[in-house]
Amino acid sequence: MNDPIVLEGNAAVEEFDVRKYIRLQMMPHFLCPGCGHGIALRALLWAVHELGIDKDRLAVVSGIGCAGRLSAYIDANTFHVTHGRPLAFASGLALVRPDLHVVVITGDGDCLAIGGNHFIHTCRRNLKLTCLMLNNEVYGMTGGQVSPTTSETRITTTTQLGNAEPHFDACALAAAAGAGFVGREVTHHVPKLKDVMRAALEHPGFAFVEVMSDCTEIFGRKNDMGSSPEMILRQKSEIRPSAYRDTVETPFRPNTLPTGVLMCNERPEYGAAYRQYAQTVKSAGDGKQKRG
Amino acid sequence: MSLASEVAESSQHSGGAAARGSREPVNVLIVGVGGQGVIMVSKVLASLCQAHGLQVKQSEVHGMAKRGGSVFSHVRFGKQVWSPTIPKGDVDILLALEWAEGLRWLPQLRAETGIFICDTKRIVPPFACLNRRQGAPMRYSRETPAEVIAHVAEAYAVDATRMADELGNERAANTVLVGALSTAMEFPLADWERVLAEFVPRKTVGVNLEAFRLGRSWIEEARRTAPDTSDPQGQGLAAAVVPSTVRVEIEAQWCKSCDICVKLCPERCLRLNSERIAELTDPAKCTGCRLCEWLCPDFAIRVHLQPAAAVA
Amino acid sequence: MSIATVAVEPAASNLRLLSGNHACALGAIAAGCRFFAGYPITPSSEIAERLSRELPRVDGVFIQMEDEIASIAAVIGASMGGAKAMTATSGPGFSLKQENLGYAALAEIPCVIVNVMRGGPSTGMPTRPAQGDIMQARWGSHGDFPVIVLAPGSVREIYEETIRAFALAETYRTPVTVLYDQSIAQLLETVELKQPGAPVERKWASGPPEKYQPYAPLDNGVPAMARPGDGYRSHTTGLTHAENGFPTQTPEVVERNIGRLLGKLERHRAAIESFQTLRCEDADVVVVAVGISARAAGSAVAACRAKGIRAGMFRPITLWPFPEEALRRAASGARAVLVPEMNAGQMRLEVERVLGRDVRIEGLHKISGDPIDPAAITARIEALCI
Repeated sequence: MNDPIVLEGNAAVEEFDVRKYIRLQMMPHFLCPGCGHGIALRALLWAVHELGIDKDRLAVVSGIGCAGRLSAYIDANTFHVTHGRPLAFASGLALVRPDLHVVVITGDGDCLAIGGNHFIHTCRRNLKLTCLMLNNEVYGMTGGQVSPTTSETRITTTTQLGNAEPHFDACALAAAAGAGFVGREVTHHVPKLKDVMRAALEHPGFAFVEVMSDCTEIFGRKNDMGSSPEMILRQKSEIRPSAYRDTVETPFRPNTLPTGVLMCNERPEYGAAYRQYAQTVKSAGDGKQKRG
Repeated sequence: MSLASEVAESSQHSGGAAARGSREPVNVLIVGVGGQGVIMVSKVLASLCQAHGLQVKQSEVHGMAKRGGSVFSHVRFGKQVWSPTIPKGDVDILLALEWAEGLRWLPQLRAETGIFICDTKRIVPPFACLNRRQGAPMRYSRETPAEVIAHVAEAYAVDATRMADELGNERAANTVLVGALSTAMEFPLADWERVLAEFVPRKTVGVNLEAFRLGRSWIEEARRTAPDTSDPQGQGLAAAVVPSTVRVEIEAQWCKSCDICVKLCPERCLRLNSERIAELTDPAKCTGCRLCEWLCPDFAIRVHLQPAAAVA
Repeated sequence: MSIATVAVEPAASNLRLLSGNHACALGAIAAGCRFFAGYPITPSSEIAERLSRELPRVDGVFIQMEDEIASIAAVIGASMGGAKAMTATSGPGFSLKQENLGYAALAEIPCVIVNVMRGGPSTGMPTRPAQGDIMQARWGSHGDFPVIVLAPGSVREIYEETIRAFALAETYRTPVTVLYDQSIAQLLETVELKQPGAPVERKWASGPPEKYQPYAPLDNGVPAMARPGDGYRSHTTGLTHAENGFPTQTPEVVERNIGRLLGKLERHRAAIESFQTLRCEDADVVVVAVGISARAAGSAVAACRAKGIRAGMFRPITLWPFPEEALRRAASGARAVLVPEMNAGQMRLEVERVLGRDVRIEGLHKISGDPIDPAAITARIEALCI
């Protein structure tokens, strides 16, 4: 088994150029005009750059959907796996290769609907993984169906009269399930988004970051939310940075989404705990290994 | 009962308790930036005067200023005070917690005898950065303390923020200035310290009393020696002006005409051309803030910032 | 009171009394398996239990995942990271694993899946044996995909076939299923565990990264795999991809790549196939059976031969790809073929496909949860000879 990763930071601090981290031959990417996923991808790569993570040591596992396609654009070891399962694939990868930075890119449907079980258990296990959930409130790739995070009353192709189901708060879910790190940011705040992702990448346990992304073509259009810049600004106006929580205990605008680093704890990381356990088994079991 | 005796005792001082010049009433104008503690300083002073049996009127404007905005507070005290605000040019002591705010209110000071006590701390307001180009000059006062002091009857430029910082709490800068202010009045030292201890947060009483004494001794020292005209920050401000050139590179093949850069550019210097590809309309307006680069979902924009020297 | 005493030779140190599931676990360790992810399910759980003890001792990782889907996903993830990895399950879990099994087949990620068959359909009979997953093991995932299925028939064979499963998975970059039933899984037999040679390792990418094509086949039709961290930074996807690893829908590129994928095992049939023939040379009736049914069939053949009936047995050990030529040879002189199996007739379909209409083919199907009695097979052979 390889030695676990140690972050050394980018000593050179050379200026970030996203083109050094993407597969140029795949450009332009296939996302719709104005899709916030590209902004989130830039922020991730910026954080990777700032931390000085070697591209050869970066593994990106993504699921199915618009968000799942992002892995193909990253110049790293990338795995585009089955719908809802990237966290499970990544768990296996991270357990045998603690020397890799394993980042999972998933969408709201991928992570919370079909992958919901994997999500809560990965949070609980607290294995060192960085999970980026790009939340655009809709199944974009399949044409705009309602997702677990679609706000109530929103119109989608499967909720023609408005969504009647309540939506998930992914961050609250992650925190309740025991994730080591939980953060949320909108795409408009790119440097802050980068900082949250950077903190997530540095966190020793399972780190979950929800990015509020815009789907203009499939979701915004149906709901009269305007063009991409308008959607981005709307998302920005609907948030409440975590810093404000300290000064205003009771939310003065109850519909706002808290953003920033929402939770960070020191629970033991599973991979390290397992390696320690294995060491104990090994040293204790040498003399008295049972015959089968 | 001790209060009564104190009042009786201090009332003997009241005639001469004011600033030298002993004009009635004494007018103190305390100014600064929201969040610095202007109101706290004026409350300390007003409370002290009241304890000495003087009539006090304090009027302040802070509501619209909020944190970071301009705040001022008039404190007038004496045997009899009629009007709550100080007429222009009648300020006996101008206590400023921020350099530019001090300059803003300087015309209020009594020309021949006014005392100006000012922190050299600079808080640059957002509207002083209208030109968002990197290294662009800020619209902030360029006068050095020495230049200002030369025009005022009695002036002290105190680096109170640094002094407080060295004591371990930058926020006690206003108390350093209260210490400086105390030398201009004749209230007993013990009364100053007692009132001060009442108004500052309980946990910070120690550091505030230290700050108070430091401000007091600094000004006494300054009176003995030549006024300090060094300018620790003025130099830095000038040096910050490093003009740079901006070059915006747009990869037309990758642009998908989403309009994000055009609509979200703070300078409105981008547009979609006839082929609906983003282009820079007015390079002179571009400040190189990089928002377009960051927000381009298609990685089509790259902003190159180069120091002017490098270009030349 | 007297107890008959038998003089015992000191047992060779590699002789063990083992159940099929424990033999499977030990075979995996011997083959170099260093990652196991599973989910509890009867009757396969002993494999997970045994490996949870064995793996930490060899610097491997055991993890019990949240469900069957996650466990095969983790296994494929570990294999992508370079580890030899395995999962084990039974029917209901095998159904859940089909999605990712198809992924492993398309993306060509080596892995081993053990399916201990129990009575079905659905939850069925968790503690009773069956052979109802024969067709699912071949066609369970959607689309056309290559697959290797090994069907051991004894505890010793489970040990050996598990080792071979890893070797085949690594050599041909494909998922390999080890398929046996509850009765052999929990049967204890004395077995000699032969230490295999060095574990077979898949071909890792070498040479300049800029020239590397993740799905460009080497001479044997199997592409070299890039190990993360080695500098190749390749892309792996479950979408139909070109040689460069990136998704494509260009018809000729799809045709070429999926064609290569489906032909991959066909090219190496000789190396993959394995089977056992028992007295087929002169047999009038050839019994075709796998697993526990083959053990009964073996007894039946012996019983028939004792009665002078020329019976023989053909037992595929590599169940998929089905050893077609070998079966044709074995059954070339037979008047009839009998397929006893613990399902409603799955392998019979394949035998019919292979042998065609030239020979009489009958099934002996049992779906009660009881293994097939040798006497029942004997009776059917006798009936077929009349």
